Amino acid sequence: MMNNSLKMKSFSVSLLQKSSLRSLFHLPHHPRTIAQLLFSPFVISESKTTVPYIPQPYNLLKSEISGVSSDIQTTIKEHPSTLLLFYNDFLLPTIGFRHFCSQPLVAQPQPQTSDGLTVDDIVANNRWQILEETASDWKSHAASIAQSIQLIKKRLQWKQLVVRLDTLLMELNKPNLWDDPVHAGKISREHGLLMGKMKEVNGFERELLDHIDMLKLAREENDNELELESMKALLKMRRTAKEKELEALLSGEQDSCSCFIEVQAGAGGTESMDWASMIMQMYKMWAQRCGYGVTVVDEMCGDIAGIKRATIKVDGEYAFGYAKAEVGVHRLVRISPFDSAKRRHTSFAAVAVTPILGDASSRVKINESDLQIERFRSGGPGGQHANTTESAVRIVHIPTGVTATCQNERSQHLNKAMAMSVLQSRLDQLELARQAQVNAQYTQSLTEISWGNQIRTYVLHPYRMVKDLRTNYEVSDPDSVLEGDLDGFIMSFLSASIDKDENNL
Amino acid sequence: MILNFFPCLIRYSIFTPLPLFFKHQNLLPLSCSINFIKPISSSSSISAKTIQVPLFLKPPIYSTTILELKKFQNWAKSLSLSIGLKFLNLDNGPESNLLCRELNWLLEDVVEGEEDNPTGFLTLGCSENERLVRMRVEMEELYDLWKQRIEERRPFQYIVGCEHWRDLVLSVQEGVLIPRPETELIVDMVEELILKDKEMKQQGVWVDLGTGSGALAIGIGRLLGNEGRVIATDLSPIAASVAAFNVQRYNLQDVVEIRMGSWFEPLDEFKGKIVGLVSNPPYIPSGDIAGLQAEVVRHEPKLALDGGADGLDDLLNICKGAASFLKPGGFFIFETNGAKQSKYLVNFLNIQMEGSFQYVNSVSDFAGIHRFVTGFRK
Repeated sequence: MMNNSLKMKSFSVSLLQKSSLRSLFHLPHHPRTIAQLLFSPFVISESKTTVPYIPQPYNLLKSEISGVSSDIQTTIKEHPSTLLLFYNDFLLPTIGFRHFCSQPLVAQPQPQTSDGLTVDDIVANNRWQILEETASDWKSHAASIAQSIQLIKKRLQWKQLVVRLDTLLMELNKPNLWDDPVHAGKISREHGLLMGKMKEVNGFERELLDHIDMLKLAREENDNELELESMKALLKMRRTAKEKELEALLSGEQDSCSCFIEVQAGAGGTESMDWASMIMQMYKMWAQRCGYGVTVVDEMCGDIAGIKRATIKVDGEYAFGYAKAEVGVHRLVRISPFDSAKRRHTSFAAVAVTPILGDASSRVKINESDLQIERFRSGGPGGQHANTTESAVRIVHIPTGVTATCQNERSQHLNKAMAMSVLQSRLDQLELARQAQVNAQYTQSLTEISWGNQIRTYVLHPYRMVKDLRTNYEVSDPDSVLEGDLDGFIMSFLSASIDKDENNL
Repeated sequence: MILNFFPCLIRYSIFTPLPLFFKHQNLLPLSCSINFIKPISSSSSISAKTIQVPLFLKPPIYSTTILELKKFQNWAKSLSLSIGLKFLNLDNGPESNLLCRELNWLLEDVVEGEEDNPTGFLTLGCSENERLVRMRVEMEELYDLWKQRIEERRPFQYIVGCEHWRDLVLSVQEGVLIPRPETELIVDMVEELILKDKEMKQQGVWVDLGTGSGALAIGIGRLLGNEGRVIATDLSPIAASVAAFNVQRYNLQDVVEIRMGSWFEPLDEFKGKIVGLVSNPPYIPSGDIAGLQAEVVRHEPKLALDGGADGLDDLLNICKGAASFLKPGGFFIFETNGAKQSKYLVNFLNIQMEGSFQYVNSVSDFAGIHRFVTGFRK
């Protein structure tokens, strides 16, 4: 059901000599790009089903010629209608006036159905009412999917994604890119990743519009079988869309990493140390529920009960993406079991979350000579004099003053290795913070990571409730929360923090 | 299971030497007696010795409920907490925090659980109190072991029968010095050296004098890989058997050879051929022994600790031997009692043994104590 209106009526292509092409586009001297330019038009004209790749007509010749660089103006004037791909007198910007490059253009016009309907149109003004999944109404399915697509785009921070991709493309097209292979690798990896995300969503969007076309066609021609098939496909898409919504919540660069969770008791002695250990326990149980590996890295017990501070390592996909929602100060209100007068106490515990970057090339390089490694809490003559299972190590990174300790491994060697990995993560985070000051795009994610303000209150007396102060999400069963049932809080925070930002779409 | 570690020629008599602790030793499947036949070297022979199997290698043939384990945990924890800073103030012994951590490790070693978090059900507020878990010792024994830890100050490593050292888990038992964390650095320094100089790896034999549990020899043997050769000596027959057991556990019998004898005595044929020499000999002055931490003085072998009047008897002996046994360019590193001994030895090697050594240095451990003396044969 190829749409006739999209078929090209006439076009002419002239293969200019390489030299003139270069001057035309200020082309970097890169053979691959030229080849791409020469062959791309054919690829497009030959394919039968690549409707998405045919952009909307773009009236460059008639009205926008003044906006093009003078070289191109001259060339266009000198070679009227012989240049590139034309469609009804319209120049098709198939391969880049903006950035000339080997990749498809980022800023593609919005895809639409044969009768010009776009995803935005479908969602706007509740054109089609969204009903339950069970109601087999194709318009409802389509509307729900369209809504998901909008949400996914918002969560992926679409506008910023497009800008970032543009920047990366420019970077990728610099002829001297590979002079610094590490940087080049980083750029092309990021580009690949973002491009993949964008293509996935665009493909999904196109799929929806195709199904709508198909359904309309089936109805016109009373093709019941086709209608049923498209209906099924739409329902399946509707379900996938919900999964994709969730995935898109964790699209941050470090979200897929494992992480360290650090809990520190606030002022208030034993009561708040006990609270800190309750919080730590909550995270251990949460991580277990999620199927993550949990290792205690460092633990400093309170004198009577609880912990002064503790660090655990949470191993698994998206551990950081979820746990970052927990950063901040957690407040407890209860009758303290440590108060003989049975008074009501308020105590605080602070939570910090550090991603463990998996990508070795993005990690800060640590010079051995910048490190000062000490036996932690050492005393006495040591050596054969002492029998101890205490082999804790503290590592100080002298230039930054950042320290890390580990005391829960059973040998000094392993304590040192673990402390090094904690130190590495802290330095990585510091480096990210530094970069963020340069790159405003990251600022938001960083304020989330640093020690934040009070985020949640747990009340055990006089009533029972846990309430998140950022999202107002609340539950009336503190026990289940303290046993690690945090998903509601985490999800509501993640979606609220991303979805509220209208600029993301 | 354990017997698989031994080649058919080497057979040990394996039984538990501490009937007090293992009242039901006749029930243990490993309590079989076999003769030890193969002499480890021609110069000496290691007679039948008793190897105590570390807890974590014992088969999990007992079982108990999670509730029972929790009861034990609570009891042992409160016993540990009652110690407070008492031992620390008394003789620099363990304080309760450390004892609590040891308790967790004990549980990890005796409970058969999931690989990455064997005692998870104890720490993560599990509510399945009636569930059965498999154990490597009986509950009664477990209570007994923890009493020994607290009341008799028996070292934790002897309780569980092993010491985690670097990335190794070494079997240890009464009669064998428990390797110290400081000593790990010797392996680090050797690693650094052989990374820089490949010849140190391939050209010649490495020697660990007074190997004890075999820690240094195994650590270096693993660095050298199949092309290397390490000879480890020890005067104590128990130490020699335990070291041999550990070497087998790490499948290094083709790399590390254990010889029984005093210092260089069993090494005659290697005069002038040794490329690397490491040792952690006894270096505590005799007068200090009585005042040591209870875990050490009551339980660890004096043979491995007492270095004579000023603690230097054996170190000097080794320094002299190093001059004739090391090949030119050969490397040595010894552990010492601290700044005083290190300074003395550096002087001794540079002045009294003038012309034998170069680049003689003392190196600090992580606590900042001048712990090691290193250098090269000229």
